[in-house]
Amino acid sequence: MAATLTANAPARPRKLLASRRTRVGIVYALPVVVYLLVLFVYPIFSTLLLSLKDADGSFTLHWYADALTGVNLSVLITTLRISAETAVLSLVFGFVLAQAITRLRPVWAGLAMLVVVVPHFVSALVRTYGWIIMLGDKGLVNETLTAMSVPGAPFQLLYNELGVVIGTTSMMLPYTVLLLYGVMRGVDRRLLAAAASMGAGRVTIFCRIYLPLVGPGLASAGLLSFILSLGYYITPALMGGPKQTMIATLINQQVTKENQWNGAAAQGVILLLLTLAGLLLVKLVSSLGASRKKRSAS
Amino acid sequence: MADFGIAAPSVKVADGKSATATGKSLSVVALRKTYGGVVAVDEASMEIEAGEFVTFLGSSGSGKTTTLMMIAGFCEPDSGTITVGDRDVTRLAPQKRGLGFVFQQYLLFPHMTVSENVAFPLILRGVAKNEIRRRVGETLEIAGLSGFGGRKPRELSGGQQQRVALCRALVYRPPVILMDEPLGALDKKLRDQLQVEIKTIQQELGLTVIYVTHDQEEALVMSDRIAVMRNGLIEQFDSPRELFERPRTPFVADFLGAANFLPGRIEQHDGEHTLVRLDNSGGLITARRHQLAANTPVKVAVQPGRLRACAADDGFCTGTVETATYVGTLVRAGVRIDGGDGPLVRLEVPAGRGPVAGERVGITADPEDVNLFADEQAG
Repeated sequence: MAATLTANAPARPRKLLASRRTRVGIVYALPVVVYLLVLFVYPIFSTLLLSLKDADGSFTLHWYADALTGVNLSVLITTLRISAETAVLSLVFGFVLAQAITRLRPVWAGLAMLVVVVPHFVSALVRTYGWIIMLGDKGLVNETLTAMSVPGAPFQLLYNELGVVIGTTSMMLPYTVLLLYGVMRGVDRRLLAAAASMGAGRVTIFCRIYLPLVGPGLASAGLLSFILSLGYYITPALMGGPKQTMIATLINQQVTKENQWNGAAAQGVILLLLTLAGLLLVKLVSSLGASRKKRSAS
Repeated sequence: MADFGIAAPSVKVADGKSATATGKSLSVVALRKTYGGVVAVDEASMEIEAGEFVTFLGSSGSGKTTTLMMIAGFCEPDSGTITVGDRDVTRLAPQKRGLGFVFQQYLLFPHMTVSENVAFPLILRGVAKNEIRRRVGETLEIAGLSGFGGRKPRELSGGQQQRVALCRALVYRPPVILMDEPLGALDKKLRDQLQVEIKTIQQELGLTVIYVTHDQEEALVMSDRIAVMRNGLIEQFDSPRELFERPRTPFVADFLGAANFLPGRIEQHDGEHTLVRLDNSGGLITARRHQLAANTPVKVAVQPGRLRACAADDGFCTGTVETATYVGTLVRAGVRIDGGDGPLVRLEVPAGRGPVAGERVGITADPEDVNLFADEQAG
C-alpha cells in the first residue's frame, strides 16, 4: 500500500490538503500552533506595537528614547554591568570547578556533577532566600566571621551589588560548569603529554595548548551566562538594593506600580534584542568551535 | 596519493653541517615496572650507542611500550636507572629530559599551523625568531613538507601529519628520539615509504632513535639492533641478522623467522657439526656445533626459507607435499613427513622450481641454518 501511495504521489500533483497524511498532520499540529500563536507570537508583536504607540495611538519612538535616557539608561547600564560581572565570575568559578571535576575518577566526577546540577532543581526563589539567610547581618557567613573576629565583620553582603552578583553567579554556575566540563572532556590529554615531551612546563602547556583548545567553550559559556543574567528578575530584586535595579525589575515596577505599559514594552523589546544579539554571538562562536573540532577530528 | 609526490625520497641536508652525529648514547640498567603485582618490565638492561637505531619488538603486553614510556618519563620505574649521555634522568619529569617523542596518533596541536607546530619546541627553548624560521624551513624540507607550513594539521593526510610530528621531534635535535609505533595508523604502502624516509633521515642526521613496533618486517628494515621483548623480558638484543640467523631462544626463532620446529635428540658431535636424530622420521639432520650433551632432547628450528626440496630420500627426511601455494616469487609448500603426525613442515622455495601437491620430496638444509634449542618439555 505504502509503495503505491509513494509511487503515485509525484506523478499526480495534488492539492496541498488532499493528501491524507497532510490532513492528519495538521490536526495534530493545530493545538500547539494555536497555543503558540495566541500565547507567544501575538504577545510579542503586541508588545512591539505597544512600544511604538503613543498615548493617542499614533506612531512614536519616544518610549525608546525614554528607555535610553536618564535613570532608565543607568538601569540598563547596571543590568549590563551586573550581567558581565556574573558572566566573568561564573566563568572563573565554573572553569576551576569543571577542571577539578575532569581530574576526578568517573564515579566521583558523576557525583560531583550531580552536586552541581541538583540544586538547580530547587526553585530559584527558594535558593535566593537561602542566600539571604546565609548572607544577612546575622547570617551564617557573618556570624562565623564575627566569631573568628575578622576585622570589619559583619560585612554588608546583601542589598548591594556584591549580594546580587553572589546570587546570580550561583544561579549561573551549573550552566557554565556543564558547558565547560563537556568541552574539557573533549580535549585530548595526550596533546598535553606531547607538549611536555618537547619540554613545555605546566604554565606553558596551560597557556599555549590547553586554553586555546577550550577557548571556544569558554566564550560560549561566558556569553550564555551573560544573556541569562540580562533578564534575571528574582535574585537581583531580592538580593539587591535600589541601586541594583535591573531592567527586569524596572519593567515590573512600570507595569504593576505605574501602569506604564508602553515604556515597559519598549524596555522589553530592548532586553529581547540584547538577548538575541547575545544568542547570535553564542551561535557564531560555538559553530566556529564545532567546525574546528569537526575538521580536527577527521 | 598525488600529494605524496612532494616527499622526495632523497634527503637533502641543508648546508651540510647537520650531518655530524647529534644523537647521544642511552643506557638502561635493571629497569623494572609492575602494575598491581603484574610485572610489565622485568630488569631490562641495555646500552644504546649514539647514532644507533634501536627497535623494541614484541607483541602487545610484552613491555616494549612501558619501557619506552619510562625512558620518556611518562611512567615512573619501580627501580633501575636511565642515563642519557652521562646524565641520569631516571627521576626527571618528561619536560626536563629534553628527549623527542613521536606518537602513534601524531598529536599535532590542532590550533596551530604546521610551521607553528614545528616551531613550538624551539619557542620553548627561547631560540631567536630568525633562527626558528630557518630551522623550521630546513626541517620541513628534509621531510618533504616545504610549502605546507601554513596549513593546519587537519588539512593534511595521515602520512603528512606523521611527517610533521617527526619534524617537531627532530627540529630541536634532541639527544634521543623515541617513537611509539609511529606508522601504526598508516596503510602498508605509505608505511614502507616512511620507513625508508625515517631511516634515511636518522642516518643523515646521526640521530639516536628508539622505535617501538610489533611489526617484524618494520623492525628488520629500520633497525641497527632489535630488542625482542616478551612478558617484560628482553629475549635477545642483537642486530637483525643475528636475530634472524642465530636466534638465542625458540621464541625469537618463531617470532622473527616463523621457524619450523622439529623434536629430536642429539646423536653425536662431529667436528664442526652436531647430528640430531629426529623423533618423527628417524632421519639425521646436521646442525652447527652445539654444546649440549649427546642424547639431550632438543628442538630443531629451521626457517621455511632456509629449507630446500631435493630428491626423495636424499634429505634428512622425506615426505609428501600436501599444500603448495604460489605467492608470486615464491611457492609456499607444506610437507607431511613420512611417519610423522606433527604439523606440516613449511618450505619456501623459488617459484620456478616449486614442488607440486602430491609430489614426494626430500628436505634438506645447510647446517649453518639449523638452530638447536634444548627442549625443556621433552623427557
